[in-house]
Amino acid sequence: MSETLTKIADVIADLFDDHADTVTRETSAADIEDWDSLANIQLVVMVERQFGIQFATSEIQGFRNVGDLVDAVDRKRTA
Amino acid sequence: MIPDGYPNLSRAIAMQVAAFPEHESYLARRFAGEDAAALTFADELAVVIERLSGDELATVYRDYRWLSDIVLEEEIFFRRHGRYRLTRFADAVEQVYANAPYMARYMNGLLASQLWWRNHSEVMRYFRDAFIAGHAPGASHLEVGPGHGLLLAIAATAPGHGPCEGWDISDASLAHSREGLRRLGIADEAVALRKIDIFDAPDAQFQSIAFSEVLEHLEDPLGALRALHRLLAPGGRLFVNAPVNSPAPDHLHLFRAPEEVEDMMRSAGFTIESSLFAPCTGATLDRARRLTLTISAAVIGTR
Repeated sequence: MSETLTKIADVIADLFDDHADTVTRETSAADIEDWDSLANIQLVVMVERQFGIQFATSEIQGFRNVGDLVDAVDRKRTA
Repeated sequence: MIPDGYPNLSRAIAMQVAAFPEHESYLARRFAGEDAAALTFADELAVVIERLSGDELATVYRDYRWLSDIVLEEEIFFRRHGRYRLTRFADAVEQVYANAPYMARYMNGLLASQLWWRNHSEVMRYFRDAFIAGHAPGASHLEVGPGHGLLLAIAATAPGHGPCEGWDISDASLAHSREGLRRLGIADEAVALRKIDIFDAPDAQFQSIAFSEVLEHLEDPLGALRALHRLLAPGGRLFVNAPVNSPAPDHLHLFRAPEEVEDMMRSAGFTIESSLFAPCTGATLDRARRLTLTISAAVIGTR
């Protein structure tokens, strides 16, 4: 598990109470009951804070799964 | 998604899903675990929304989708900055209230939210069962900012109800309330609607006042509560409903905890009789507090 994925899994665990052990790149809103559009914004803003980055609104609503978010974070950090 | 026996709610869900397919899983969570009383109330509320909407019902459900997108934009700002985007009433007028097409969609979306946002439905039920049902027979009732007229209709049709009034500062809002009451079968003479600002109110007192989803729109919410204290007869009861951590394009005053609503009411001179803190769909109150999710604070105070 990459460092980015590990940190995002911790954020997901904090936001959704558990699931830290089961988060993979393929994990998506379909796998976590409380992961709705509002929770998605919370998650992404928590990730923004964690990594000191900021996404565009279109990016926030375009992540299909955790892997998309991990890749976007890594791109921002190396840009 | 819901058990058999709630045909009106079932019809409403089907219409909403047709207009907003991505919302289906949310709606399933909204009604998961609801008991018969909550489902019965929601079924009745679906009928009320149908009657209020008339031949615009499909538009109402489309505008709910539009509202959901608007709220997401505000949510992004709120999460990043820890505050609401606007703080000045003049800015809300310019960006929201003076824009008639925007307001029409906004009001439609909010109407549907009464059914789809669990905290909204729960507060309406609390208004009926804890506030209105607790009135003495014949108690005079005033609602400030009656909006669609949903709560005013409950007050004006309750057993043993007294005279009912609705006040607003906007002619357009009063016309909207009148039309809503007519569609719900409330005769014009049964509810007096007046253009009155509570900060410049006539010398009158009521035994019951409702002030629902207004405080958060004001620059001086404490001043408004003090004005309502003067309008409430000694021994009278005030119903306040205000959302906590609930970003919206015209929300100005941020309540960060439901107790802040109670504290503000005490500061204005009221004694707290009872409260309902209703978390948003899918959240327990503890989780809503921990993650600063929306909580509706419905508080009954007495003078």
